Amino acid sequence: MSDQGIKSRPKYAPLELDPAGRHHLLLVEGPALPAEALAEGFEPAAFETWTVVNRSALLPVQVVDAQGESVRPFRAKGHLFSALEERLARETMGLRLYATGSEPFLWDVARIADAAGMSRQEIRLAQAGSKARRVFCVHCRTYGEGVTTSIFTCGGCGASLFVRDHFSRRHAAYMGVQVDAEVPGAVPDAEELYA
Amino acid sequence: MTLQFKPNETFRRDFTYRNSSAAILHFPFPFPEDQYMYSVNIEPHVKGGASPAYDHVFDVDEHYVAECRERAQVLAEDPKRCQVLPHMMAAQWDTLELLMENLAADYPAHFSLTKAGDLWTWINRPLGLHQSFTFGKAETLPCPPFEYITRQAQGDFTLQDQREDNLYVDGGMVTTQADWSFEFDIGMSFHEWHGPVPLAHEKGVFDRALKYLLRLQYGAPVRRLNWTMTINPRLDTSPENYPVWGPDKASVTPENVGQKVHLRVELQTLYRLPRSNAILFGIRCYLASLEEVARVPKWGKRLHRVLRDLHPDIEAYKGLPRFRQMAVDYLAPLDDGAELSKGIQSELTAL
Repeated sequence: MSDQGIKSRPKYAPLELDPAGRHHLLLVEGPALPAEALAEGFEPAAFETWTVVNRSALLPVQVVDAQGESVRPFRAKGHLFSALEERLARETMGLRLYATGSEPFLWDVARIADAAGMSRQEIRLAQAGSKARRVFCVHCRTYGEGVTTSIFTCGGCGASLFVRDHFSRRHAAYMGVQVDAEVPGAVPDAEELYA
Repeated sequence: MTLQFKPNETFRRDFTYRNSSAAILHFPFPFPEDQYMYSVNIEPHVKGGASPAYDHVFDVDEHYVAECRERAQVLAEDPKRCQVLPHMMAAQWDTLELLMENLAADYPAHFSLTKAGDLWTWINRPLGLHQSFTFGKAETLPCPPFEYITRQAQGDFTLQDQREDNLYVDGGMVTTQADWSFEFDIGMSFHEWHGPVPLAHEKGVFDRALKYLLRLQYGAPVRRLNWTMTINPRLDTSPENYPVWGPDKASVTPENVGQKVHLRVELQTLYRLPRSNAILFGIRCYLASLEEVARVPKWGKRLHRVLRDLHPDIEAYKGLPRFRQMAVDYLAPLDDGAELSKGIQSELTAL
């Protein structure tokens, strides 16, 4: 059940610098770079890094620390995304975008990059931290956030949704399909799969 | 075949859809052999061949008017069944041109297209439409060009953009689908939207099919048949409405299996489009009940053998486990075990 054999589910690799890039912007869904997301020999000083610290009393100002690493903290994901949209709108060719964090964060970034005209080859993503899923209810189009079980109740239409491994990059979400549509009420036990 | 449209038949609630004897012989039976397994079964889409459904570029049959009405109903309930991403405007006009030119050429009694430069006049007699418009100017049509013309065609259509050596499903009119969600899949690459299909990835089917399609040439369309089974003659078996049609699967009994269980065949056609270099993918759905299929003896026997010996992964993916055995039991007495000719042709001229 944990691998349904569906091929749309993204695969990730530890982050490495793309030598074809002119400038490298790294987005981190947290206050610090997670070691699990980095390839061997990763050199943080080569990147402009944006982080998410989940705190209101700060200004998103770029600071270069003692190690020569340039870090700009944001109050929350939404705060970072709005800055990213503005930044990509005035970027030119040669930018490479890197992101690490939970899957919904990665594909929210990818969607913003896509809207700005970046191709998939210009973006590198590395999953880190929670494996919780965002799930799109195919029946009522409500997104469920932080789903960790094989079956959960849709917050929109109330259906018991089975979480398929079918993943849409555009929705940044997995597909949820009613598990008891053929025999209403026959809902199997949910398994904790995506902690 | 002289077409006698059946405008009042329905694909929901009372399900009055039926096939005439002529329509049964017109049905593209999908099994050339007694066993079924995934393969890249693509051939040139040229006129003529083993099924009368191949006699025209876009097949129109007795269900045309009713299917267009059903499509309008689905779109009224769920407008997102038709979406085209903004960069696909040239492909929209390519589609309109391809459909109008071929329908008018193949069925002059029903459709006509006249052109005076960019000023085109389209007449669709079965639906009672008469439209003058300027080719390339979307504001001269009542709705965008892809939606306009696919509302007047049987079967679903998707638009594949070709870039980065891949195909992306960046547009579609999808109201008669076999359990895949266009709203969920829009924007996906070739391997992503085929992600849920079992066995075929491991067999390399999608790698080979993609390579083949990337080289598809303008003027040389191709086709293949695909199949599944549907309870009741329901066109809209979308994931969106699965809670509505899912319970049908538990309604099959040994007494009603011959009328309720339908063989659902997709005549899939692929066309390179001239301006956009996109690919138009037509997915034309045909439905025939087991009882109707079995009126052609060769088809009844072969369907029995295919269903009896079907790979369990394919049975599960196509959603057949609740009723497959009942279908096999229904067809078994009709199968004398005789050797059947290769190919899908009915070998009958009349029923």
